[in-house]
Amino acid sequence: MSKFLAIVKREYVQRVRTRMFVVLTILGPVMLALFAVVPGLLFSLKTGGATRLAIIDETGDAKLYERFRTTLLDGDDFEDHPDFASSINANTRDRIEQAGSSLAGSFSTERVDLNGRSLDEVRRDLNRRIAADELDGYVVLPADILQNPESKPAYYGRNVGDVITQSQIQERLNLAVNRQRLILAGVDEGRLNSLSRPVELETYPVNEKGEAGERDSGAGFLMVFMVGFAIYLTILMYGQVILGAVVEEKETRIAEVLFSSVNSFPLMMGKLIGVSLVALTQLAIWGAAFIAATTWLLGASGVQDLKIPHLPPLFAVYFLLFFLLGYFLYASLYALIGSMVTTTQEGGQLAIPVVLLLVFGFYLAFPVIRSPSSALAFWVSMVPFFAPITMIIRIVSQTPPLWEIVLSLFIGVVTVMLLLWLTARIYRVGMLMYGKRATIPEVVRWLRHS
Amino acid sequence: MSNSLATVKLEQVAKRFGEFAAVSDLSISVYPGRIYGLLGPNGAGKTTTIRMIVNITAPDSGRIELFGKQITPALQDRIGYLPEERGLYKKMKVGDQIRFFAELKSVRKQELGRRIDFWLDRVKLTEWKNKKASELSKGMQQKVQFITAVLHDPDLLILDEPFSGLDPINLELLKEIILELKGAGKTIIFSTHQMEIAERICDDICLLDRSRKVLEGSLRDVKRSFGRNAVALRIAGGDGVLRDQSLVSATTHHADEIEALLAPGADVQVLLRELIKAGARVEKFEMIEPSLHDIFIARITENQ
Repeated sequence: MSKFLAIVKREYVQRVRTRMFVVLTILGPVMLALFAVVPGLLFSLKTGGATRLAIIDETGDAKLYERFRTTLLDGDDFEDHPDFASSINANTRDRIEQAGSSLAGSFSTERVDLNGRSLDEVRRDLNRRIAADELDGYVVLPADILQNPESKPAYYGRNVGDVITQSQIQERLNLAVNRQRLILAGVDEGRLNSLSRPVELETYPVNEKGEAGERDSGAGFLMVFMVGFAIYLTILMYGQVILGAVVEEKETRIAEVLFSSVNSFPLMMGKLIGVSLVALTQLAIWGAAFIAATTWLLGASGVQDLKIPHLPPLFAVYFLLFFLLGYFLYASLYALIGSMVTTTQEGGQLAIPVVLLLVFGFYLAFPVIRSPSSALAFWVSMVPFFAPITMIIRIVSQTPPLWEIVLSLFIGVVTVMLLLWLTARIYRVGMLMYGKRATIPEVVRWLRHS
Repeated sequence: MSNSLATVKLEQVAKRFGEFAAVSDLSISVYPGRIYGLLGPNGAGKTTTIRMIVNITAPDSGRIELFGKQITPALQDRIGYLPEERGLYKKMKVGDQIRFFAELKSVRKQELGRRIDFWLDRVKLTEWKNKKASELSKGMQQKVQFITAVLHDPDLLILDEPFSGLDPINLELLKEIILELKGAGKTIIFSTHQMEIAERICDDICLLDRSRKVLEGSLRDVKRSFGRNAVALRIAGGDGVLRDQSLVSATTHHADEIEALLAPGADVQVLLRELIKAGARVEKFEMIEPSLHDIFIARITENQ
């Protein structure tokens, strides 16, 4: 027992002391932020200045052009200026759109009249200007657009892959045409403005007891995403740590000295447990930092309606259980791989399927977040390799019945035990095999012989 | 000697890996206070034998006794083991490293600090105690590893190629310590293929080849059984005579001497006569005991 503790202690102390640990502890939340925001920002980022747009107005009514021009240049007439609270509370989609409108929303327009020429002739001319980079695109407004609901305006542009710009054009053209149609139908401009103010949908969660909670501001999504991501990232990182540690002991033949003092099983378990404590330390630091940061934000900003999403009371317990489940599943796989290979590089290659499995589990998080009670969500949260991420997401977003959680844990624990048993046997033989990477038939033979 | 209790006793031990026989029908006895040389070419089964003794792998058949008892994990604490290709945790400090390995051998905490300092001083590494292993030279690392094998004061010390890569000064230092441990009554199993070193420190030897024991006994007996059938020569010319297989079975060239192993049944007087007849200038012609190296080569080639 004291030998086992010595192994746990070494793994823990040596790793927590490293600069790497400190760096990762700081970098983790930064990476989370990057994952949550940057892809959206990058996608909406449009460089190269305003989109130069020509508008062919076949209606002959200058009002439509003017209205379209206004909506294009000013954006949505009704848009409120986002205040601090709503920008914090905004969910990812909103934030991406806000970022998108501020970064990609600029247009310059020019009006093109047919002036007796045919449409084809004008289009040829504009196409030539697009080719010469004098123009980015043009919109054709058919003559009957204000009268005929079936009428189809068209957009011609150099870069039709820029879906954000296109959707902005579509949205603003839609607005302009609608309003112009209503005015033509005799609606007063002032009334139009007040009546067409967009409605705002407020979201309230209903808990398992059937009680409606406080208004949800989108932070719920962020919270769920962060919890899933923290589990994913930590398992991935510490799985790699296990792989590295096992390969190091094998590569340097330290394993041989260790085996002459301790049995392979306590050795392997000591390593897994020691590293798991490092991971838990890191998660605890992140958790404390998160609570401190939100408390500070609340205090400093003076915002009253910033809501910390409601978490189930046993959340910390569930988080710990599912994290440990995932950690031991993946860490024992990594230990198994580490004992089969001879170098870290080989280990990295062989570990790719394991990483893919984990990444797949992470991507499953998205459909599960959208419908946490669906059949898909149920089944993937019963698969031990996906359960740590998907089940914790279900627990945070819409806590499933207790029996589902217990069943998922049970399946997981049985799998972990089987996997540890299997890994221990392979580890015992593999750690003493030098020279070349073990093949699968060899590993099967070790299993039979050990 | 053989009436005292053997520290290590192997009886008809065998170990196979699939089709490959690593150790076959091996019986050896290692006695307290002696240095036992486990010799043999690469792949002869030395490492597998050692691993079975230290309870890393179990034999397929046969019996292994340590200190007169069937081997148990508890007995592992009485063994110190320095494997052939050994390493340290690169990023761990020397002192911490030694402490960790000692903890795995159940050394009492109160004694740990004192012993670590004693041994670091003994191998002249005191000022490296708080350095990481990766900052040490290879020779220094080897000395640290040696400390991890002896710090818990084992009754049985197993050293697999302990001298490879050491400079002469450190080699002497380590040899001195090993002889001291022997003097203190420890049993030492020493595996090597460097015959010159084995010859200088081993009391008993066992020669393994292709999983089997081909020779065992005290160094003195082994040498005596081979007889004085080698000649140390310092000559100029006469190369043709030395190449005559009916007279000389093997030659070893040293800096200014040639060691010639007589062919079975060859007469040493005939060799001398032939050399002179061939016009060689003979400065030295001395009957010597064969070196362990020669015995090693002779037995291994015979065995093939």
